[in-house]
Amino acid sequence: MSELLKIRIDRLYYGERNLVENIDLTVNKGDKILLAGTTGSGKTSLLNSLNLMNQSYEGEIIFDGRAITGCPPQFLRSRILMVMQEPWLGEGIVEDILAEPFCFAAVRKRGMKKDDKMILELFDLFKLPQEHLKKKAEQLSGGEKQRIALIRALIMKPEILLLDEISSALDQGTSRIVADYLLKSYPGTIIAISHDPLWQAHWQIQWHIKDGIIHIIQGGE
Amino acid sequence: MDISYWGLFFSLLLLAFPLFIFWHLKLKLTKQLLISFGRMIAQLALIGIWLQILLDKNNIWLTLGWLLIMITNAVIILRNRMKSHKRILAPIFFIALAAASLIVMPWVLFVVIRPNPLFSADVVIPIYGMVLGNTMNSCALAMERFEGKLSDNWKAYYTLISLGASDWEAALPAFRQAMHISLLPRLLSIAAMGIVSLPGMMSGQILGGASALVAIKYQVMIMAAIFSSVTIADYLAIRLYLKWRFDQFYLPKEER
Repeated sequence: MSELLKIRIDRLYYGERNLVENIDLTVNKGDKILLAGTTGSGKTSLLNSLNLMNQSYEGEIIFDGRAITGCPPQFLRSRILMVMQEPWLGEGIVEDILAEPFCFAAVRKRGMKKDDKMILELFDLFKLPQEHLKKKAEQLSGGEKQRIALIRALIMKPEILLLDEISSALDQGTSRIVADYLLKSYPGTIIAISHDPLWQAHWQIQWHIKDGIIHIIQGGE
Repeated sequence: MDISYWGLFFSLLLLAFPLFIFWHLKLKLTKQLLISFGRMIAQLALIGIWLQILLDKNNIWLTLGWLLIMITNAVIILRNRMKSHKRILAPIFFIALAAASLIVMPWVLFVVIRPNPLFSADVVIPIYGMVLGNTMNSCALAMERFEGKLSDNWKAYYTLISLGASDWEAALPAFRQAMHISLLPRLLSIAAMGIVSLPGMMSGQILGGASALVAIKYQVMIMAAIFSSVTIADYLAIRLYLKWRFDQFYLPKEER
């Protein structure tokens, strides 16, 4: 498998507090990684560091053979894409919300085009009625917003998808459908934070943060 | 037609009505009213004496020096109105106001009015006073709204940059809203001019003895100059602030 991301961090911190030390991790193309640990252990800080949303660390992160701090942030973030726990969708209708990132210069320069067929397939797969495409974001429930935020990220075909608790507002059935798709059908690389036991049981690799150290656990499906 | 000093005194007696209403409603504005009117009279009296000297001398360097003092004062007032990022805002406001002035004022003077001599103090100073005063207020409003819109919804900004937007693209919705809030009331008041309101400059000229036609021409010119200057200064101030507001990774800089 080809190596996509190298994480060599001596110290990850928040303010004065050390969160994790001596991180030495590699992400290969297609890896499905679960980032686990207790609240405040540094999971989100580590995830945010991977797409330049956090600089509170000493060390180096190499993506595609280049230190991420040397990459233009908008290009890096369109390739290492983050979906947040409480997504913000915007004020227009869902169709326009899904199209918005394709107007960004960095996304256009990557030659990305909105794939309507893929959107409809994902809507069906994630049990979202297609009429929702014409609805305004504020008319949607928390779970629907989370799924649409995930679809918005997936249609951008990122090289690495960073997911921060994206199933927190989903019911068990929908959460299983989303987890099944991401783990079994989605071809890209994923690093996800989740406290959902359903998600925790099925990942190929687990990075477990405990007492400031990352333990790598192989297993799951 | 001149107003006698007794006439001026009687005009201030009109303030008895608001003072009575304040007293009736137990509104704590009496002290502020006395301070505000007291300051206005003192400041206008002093500036009147100074302006008379400037107009009599009609010296280009003296006039230019006074314009510089006006713009510096505007920057200090603007800086003090802002709640945060004061240190960086002073140069930003200076650049925005100076650039707007340097674009609008030469056009008004050398192309539109063409007074003789070209740099006559009695034309430059009153027109610049109106342009700068309006631009200053609008700049403050636009900047407050821009920072407010950003700070009220950081989630929107972070979501957009995490999807590959640049800082410019992610802050553009807040930028648009700030410009809209700053400019729309001006456009509405321009639309109401003549029917609902008679603007100060036009009224002043008619009272000063100018023909209504000349007064209208000046009013149209000054509104175009003010609106242009306001838009340029708002745009430049927010654009420069945006450049400073985020670091090289497009993350907001800490308060300093």
